[in-house]
Amino acid sequence: MDQGINRRGFLKLSAAGSAVLATGSGLALLTGCSSNDGPAPGYKHFRQQDVDLLTPLVGAVLGSALTDVGATAEDGMKAFDDLLDGGMPGTRGALFQVLDLMQLGAARWYITGTWASFADQSEAELTQTLTEWAASERGLSRMAFKGLTQPIYMAWYVKPEAAHSTGYPGPPRKIVA
Amino acid sequence: MQDLTTLTINVKDPWKDPANGWDVLDGRTITDNRTLEADVIIVGTGAGGGVSAEILSQRGLKVILVEAGKLKSSDDFKLDEGQAYRDLYQEGALRATKDAGMTILQGRTVGGTTVVNWTSCFRTPHETLQYWHDEFGVQGLSRAQLDPWFQQMETRLKVEKWAMPPNANNDVMKRGCDDRGWHSALIPRNVSGCWNIGYCGMGCPTNAKQSMLVTTIPGALDHGSTLIHSAQADTLIIEGDTVTGVRVRPLNDDKVPTGATVTLKAKTVIAAGGGIQSPALLMRSDAPDPNGLVGKRTFLHPTSFAFGLYDKEIAPYYGAPQSMYSDEFTFKHGVDGPAGYKMEMMPMHPGLSSALIGGFGERARDEIERLPNLAASIAMIRDGFHDENQGGVVELRDNGEPLLDYPVNDYLLEGTKRAHLSMLEMQFAAGAKEVRPSHSHAGYYKSWKAAREGVAQLDYAPVITGLGSAHVMGGLTMGQDESRCTVNSDGSYKHLNGLYIIDGSVFPTSIGANPQLSIYGLSARNASGLAEKLKA
Repeated sequence: MDQGINRRGFLKLSAAGSAVLATGSGLALLTGCSSNDGPAPGYKHFRQQDVDLLTPLVGAVLGSALTDVGATAEDGMKAFDDLLDGGMPGTRGALFQVLDLMQLGAARWYITGTWASFADQSEAELTQTLTEWAASERGLSRMAFKGLTQPIYMAWYVKPEAAHSTGYPGPPRKIVA
Repeated sequence: MQDLTTLTINVKDPWKDPANGWDVLDGRTITDNRTLEADVIIVGTGAGGGVSAEILSQRGLKVILVEAGKLKSSDDFKLDEGQAYRDLYQEGALRATKDAGMTILQGRTVGGTTVVNWTSCFRTPHETLQYWHDEFGVQGLSRAQLDPWFQQMETRLKVEKWAMPPNANNDVMKRGCDDRGWHSALIPRNVSGCWNIGYCGMGCPTNAKQSMLVTTIPGALDHGSTLIHSAQADTLIIEGDTVTGVRVRPLNDDKVPTGATVTLKAKTVIAAGGGIQSPALLMRSDAPDPNGLVGKRTFLHPTSFAFGLYDKEIAPYYGAPQSMYSDEFTFKHGVDGPAGYKMEMMPMHPGLSSALIGGFGERARDEIERLPNLAASIAMIRDGFHDENQGGVVELRDNGEPLLDYPVNDYLLEGTKRAHLSMLEMQFAAGAKEVRPSHSHAGYYKSWKAAREGVAQLDYAPVITGLGSAHVMGGLTMGQDESRCTVNSDGSYKHLNGLYIIDGSVFPTSIGANPQLSIYGLSARNASGLAEKLKA
């Protein structure tokens, strides 16, 4: 494929994506999905609407990475929350902005290719959503896919029990005198 | 199967010895406003700040070091990935460029990135220094003029070529390059009594790594310096055209300001926060910048990856993380032609590896379960040497935190495609059964021929082309050319008296090699020059 056309196409879509992002954030604020709601019970950073939105997605992204060690999607979501602990307020703010946007059906359709909430999709439907989302040519879709899946993985596999399930035996033992 | 879990590490932590008598203030405990005075204030405790502090304090100058990160030392280093990212990295290792095109690993702790780097030490390539001289008017920094400074820092930090056999991951580089007839060589490392276990990126648990945390910062404290950690340098205090101090906000355990202000007063202030942080400090301070250059030309060595699967165990998580490199393609097309790249290997611990491998669901699970047999090569593009590659621009979020806008353009994508091909060829030559480049749409190729054909079909576009960075450089360009530079070759800022920049942010381009020794050498030179001036 011609590189130049792809790059130009990407820039055009990114500009469109940014416009959606800007509008979406405004709508999210109007509909009450602001980033000032405080963390959900049991979470340090994620708000209740984030937990509701993302937990099914975390389950589908991690799949048997969770079930192989007897963990649940909620465990994966809590791990993501732990990872956010290291971030700065601005780091988390940027993530929350994307999540606020994804509360809207139109934005979910634009970003992931489907209007339906992740919670309303079956396991097979979620896998299909992820497959189409990962193959999307939209700049904003690609950013959102990477921006969400990458930390979900890092968050989960830094947990010792998950790390061990990759075949990594683990670190030497540190003793503090 | 290699298994180090029965190995026990029990070493003394020099920071926990009450007899050291060091003057250390913990910002988390500061809730009252206070003012402190010194001869020199140094913002940042990484490669630039650490070296400067030791040299200035040895000359009898009173130094205060300010560090936004926490003080963590060997007793705290538990070889735990999650803990390390949270405690020792900028933004908890979640830092990325504005459009998520590149992830950025950068340190944020007492000792800065030197606490978490992989210990590779290279003198600045001659080609890079010549380019700085020719294009930016950098003075007095030829390789011959810098070599004594590199020598001094190599001695101080015990830099030597790695003497033990490379781990299986790095042996891939050697075998692959030997087979292709490509250059490869041993990496000089700043370690002393290294246990060869592979946890450099999580804070060295044995104090073998000669980071600033165990060398120059203790040296500076022994000579009467004061360290304030968990304290963010908010703005420079500027009176007229002169910097007279720094306003500092102590941070609580959650990195939130305690509400107190520490006012530091000195005739000389050194910004040593490194790329991104130092330009951001000047931007927050509204420092004069008549040509609008501060924060521009920030470079990352955009780095791509290739993951090779072998039929024998590689255990890429164990052993010295980087011991072999190849400069076969670094300057292949000259200094300023199409992108050149340096090839090395990277350690693979499960958290970072799974994030870089990416994907989702069953395929991603299958890939990560093969971790013990994976090797990971990296290719770092020399950025900043071409008209079409001017680096990124530091911006400030509404709350003053920095953010780097660095779009991945065609120049970088074309270089990444060639880098992918070189790494694929190298790993197949080393005996890989399957190799996958860092591209979301690529799978594992089963032969070099299939890889060549597969890469030709890939859409090289931002974000789906997997790129990261562990080297942030530039943003406060050094040189005598006033139209392009903000910092003089001696480190002084052009538009304010009393302000010096001594860190990697002064580099006019990227280095073309892991930058720590470049920062050490240049910092030793400019801190020594500053000490002469202040003691005169």
